[in-house]
Amino acid sequence: MTYYFVVFAAGFAGSFHCIGMCGGFACALGHDQRGTSATVLRHLLYNSGRLTTYCFLGVLAGALGQAICTREGATFTPLNGSLDAAERFLAIVAGLLMIGMALQFFGLLRTFQRLTVGFGSSTFAVALRSLLTTGHPAAPLALGVFNGFLPCPLVYAFAAEAASTFQALPGLLTMASFGLGTFPAMLMMGGVGRALAPVWRQRGVWLAGSCILVLGIVTLGRGLLPLGAHVSHGLLAGYPA
Amino acid sequence: MTAASGESLCSHCLLPIGRRALEQTVNGERCTFCCYGCSIAFQVRHGKTEEWEAAWLLIRLGVGGFLSMNIMLFSLLIYGGVFTGADARLLPYIDILLLALATPAVVVLGGPFLRETLAEGANGRLAPSALIVLGVGAAYAYSTIAVIEKDAQVYFDTATMVLMLFTVGRYLEAAGRARAARDLEPLLAADREHVVVVEDGFETSRPMREIEAGMTVRVRPGERIAVDGVIIEGVSHADEAVITGESQPVEKGPGSAVIAGSINLEGLLLIRSSGSGTDTRWAQICRSVREALMHRSPILRLADRAVAAAVPGVSILAALTVAYWAQWLPLDRAMLMGVAVLVVACPCAVGLAAPLATSLGIGRLARHGCLVRDAGTLEELARVRLLAFDKTGTLTLGKARIVAIESDGIATTEVLAIAAGLERHSEHGLGRAVVRAAADLGIETIAAREVRVVPGRGIVGQFDRGLVAAGNVALMRDLSFEVAPALAECGHRAGAIGYSVIYVGWTGQARAVISLDDVPIPEARATIESLRARGLRMAVLSGDLGPAAQRVGAALRIDDVRAGLTPEDKRAALERHRRSRDVVAMVGDGLNDGPVLAEADVGIAVGTATDLARETASVVLPVGGLWLLPWIIDVARAVHSTVRTNLLWAFGYNLVALTLAALGMLQPIIAAAVMAGSSILVILNSLRLERLPDFVASQLPERSLETETARSTLAPDPKEWVPDFQKDHAQTIS
Repeated sequence: MTYYFVVFAAGFAGSFHCIGMCGGFACALGHDQRGTSATVLRHLLYNSGRLTTYCFLGVLAGALGQAICTREGATFTPLNGSLDAAERFLAIVAGLLMIGMALQFFGLLRTFQRLTVGFGSSTFAVALRSLLTTGHPAAPLALGVFNGFLPCPLVYAFAAEAASTFQALPGLLTMASFGLGTFPAMLMMGGVGRALAPVWRQRGVWLAGSCILVLGIVTLGRGLLPLGAHVSHGLLAGYPA
Repeated sequence: MTAASGESLCSHCLLPIGRRALEQTVNGERCTFCCYGCSIAFQVRHGKTEEWEAAWLLIRLGVGGFLSMNIMLFSLLIYGGVFTGADARLLPYIDILLLALATPAVVVLGGPFLRETLAEGANGRLAPSALIVLGVGAAYAYSTIAVIEKDAQVYFDTATMVLMLFTVGRYLEAAGRARAARDLEPLLAADREHVVVVEDGFETSRPMREIEAGMTVRVRPGERIAVDGVIIEGVSHADEAVITGESQPVEKGPGSAVIAGSINLEGLLLIRSSGSGTDTRWAQICRSVREALMHRSPILRLADRAVAAAVPGVSILAALTVAYWAQWLPLDRAMLMGVAVLVVACPCAVGLAAPLATSLGIGRLARHGCLVRDAGTLEELARVRLLAFDKTGTLTLGKARIVAIESDGIATTEVLAIAAGLERHSEHGLGRAVVRAAADLGIETIAAREVRVVPGRGIVGQFDRGLVAAGNVALMRDLSFEVAPALAECGHRAGAIGYSVIYVGWTGQARAVISLDDVPIPEARATIESLRARGLRMAVLSGDLGPAAQRVGAALRIDDVRAGLTPEDKRAALERHRRSRDVVAMVGDGLNDGPVLAEADVGIAVGTATDLARETASVVLPVGGLWLLPWIIDVARAVHSTVRTNLLWAFGYNLVALTLAALGMLQPIIAAAVMAGSSILVILNSLRLERLPDFVASQLPERSLETETARSTLAPDPKEWVPDFQKDHAQTIS
């Protein structure tokens, strides 16, 4: 549970970063003239669209991980348990990816930024823009679904983490925790507006970076250390998150 | 939008629409699309979102995605073994949930495919989308029955994900094609473009066809200049590549002429139009590009036939697959294999292989002023083995230049000063060459009075020393000017090797012989060398005298020179060449060589470039565009090899995937993913053509060096050439 809570926290903190990008969409979705409940419904639709995409990516990543290293009957225990060679390899890759993302959050690494921004964003952006202006009740759902696929380092990081769980269900839970973590901030953006100071946004980014860094190190540790599970367990237990 | 474009080019990707045209109304305009993907992408890009239709498409994609992702999520959990043991009792409820999710998803996503199939079916044809409908329908129907009968396995994930992947694949495909179309758009939009006209201080936006001579047009920086005209106000640079082929910006200021189609780079310009908007060369280029794109090349027709044949074949193969595997496996597994066969065989990539690449090629050439009649021409051009050139006006300037002055001891500068003083009054090409040479050398002419032209002889006048004349030997005889035997001999010799000769004489005596010749254009040799480096053979087919043609051939290092040919002879020579080296191109000036250009496999006209429709040539280069030839061959070859690799890939990939699917080694969802991937790969491969380098004149190998050599042998640069020549020729005479 601790593990999913850390993911949730990272999602929550990271969502202050999201505000910079996706928050714009949430803002633009704005208020419904038909009243508060309609507005809430609209934003819930938008966010559940987003969450579905995240969950789908999580399950897909987990299932892919499982396909790569099949272990019949074993259940995933995020913080302990032994791993075979393929799993170790995947864990190392995922861990490095996450650490890379975390460094990028701290502004230390620029490669990922270029990678994430470069592909497909224009096609997506155009599609999203035109969805924003329609009054159709299902439009927010579609917007959320597309939004979930927008290139975003946070999503990539957690998809990598989901893959390193080697199973569909934990993969789903990882991304679901992350997605739920982003809920409050995104809902707030829709409802409250853009009242958040840039300072707080920056703090959120740092906090998210720290969470991802810790998760990355833990994941990497699972791949590298023979008893890594126990070490990281101790590490996490002492972590104030 | 004109009727022509509406009928045969896709509104989105500007490729010729096949037989699977899709008609829709966007923004109140009737649009035709070549495929469902293009219609989505077009509406995403252009559709005003207030419009129900455009938004609905995206919502459909989004909602379909939402539903199918949820289905996929549960299915993956089931496959991952989450609902085993105690949780297995949940399975029937999850199946019902999946049915509830899948039904709207299939309706929302499968609708367009079904409609396409039905529309084609009504016309008695089988569309490739029929394969998808069949496969998805089978998976959905089987799963529904399984849910009702509380059977073990359902395959809703297959049904919806296949649809989702194909829809997304088509959208991405259309997006890729639109990117390619961005290249072509300015070329096709000329008649749709609007121009800002300034009248009495008011600015109005008018369509191109309403532009007439004398109108004042405002062109902002970065905009295309839509009219031929003269700048009234403003300073800027213009990129005239589309007309002249050269991409160096040209400086423009008040009074400069501007050409329609060029791009105003940085200044705000006010231009007085000098003609109607639809008569410009730019408008003609656009028309011929549009026509070129509308022709279906042989290779495209072949691909069409293959697609048409594939659909029933694949359906039969799928049925056989199911029948075969059903003997050993449960029916649902066998059915899944059949679905995989149907899905993986969808021949989308085959249909895409040729048109995108050829359109990119044609557009690329057109933006440098090179017009190609159709895609078939581009294919022929890539296979050309021999290029036959006409001489005059193609390899040579078609303008005489002085190559030698031989006198009886009088300084050449004096000869030129006197001859030019007289020839200043002449309209004759040879006379003008003399005046130009004098001007180039900075020689002050000695003025002549009472000048009169003697038709067929030359020109006669008076100057301070008496009667002066310049013309042929007959003129000298008529005036009873004495011609020294040495000088006459010089004149004969020059005439015998094909030079034009002017005798210059005064005070009763012929004093000098000026020999003139048509010289190769400066970049001719570099161009020929560059073509040779591309493995092409060259030949000269000339109507001129032997020695003149031989000289040009020697200067350009072309061995195969035939001179003194009538147009009939030229055609016979081409025929002979064709028999020995199959594909032959003829390069000529289009005016005199019309019939010969028509006879060649590829007729290439240089410089006339009026209207392709009225030309017999199938390729037209801009004025002075000979140097573009190697580049054009490069582009044609690149397009050709791209089409070939695309077809090879599409067919090969389909074949391999089909085999795997029939052997039951391919999951339907993975089959759909690789299929969509295949189309995208074909698109990406074609888009590589965008990165083909532009050919800039300065890139011609040894161009500068070449110019020097050409000049010193045949067209001496007057400034360097005088001392040399004075030494040589003055000595021979004296």
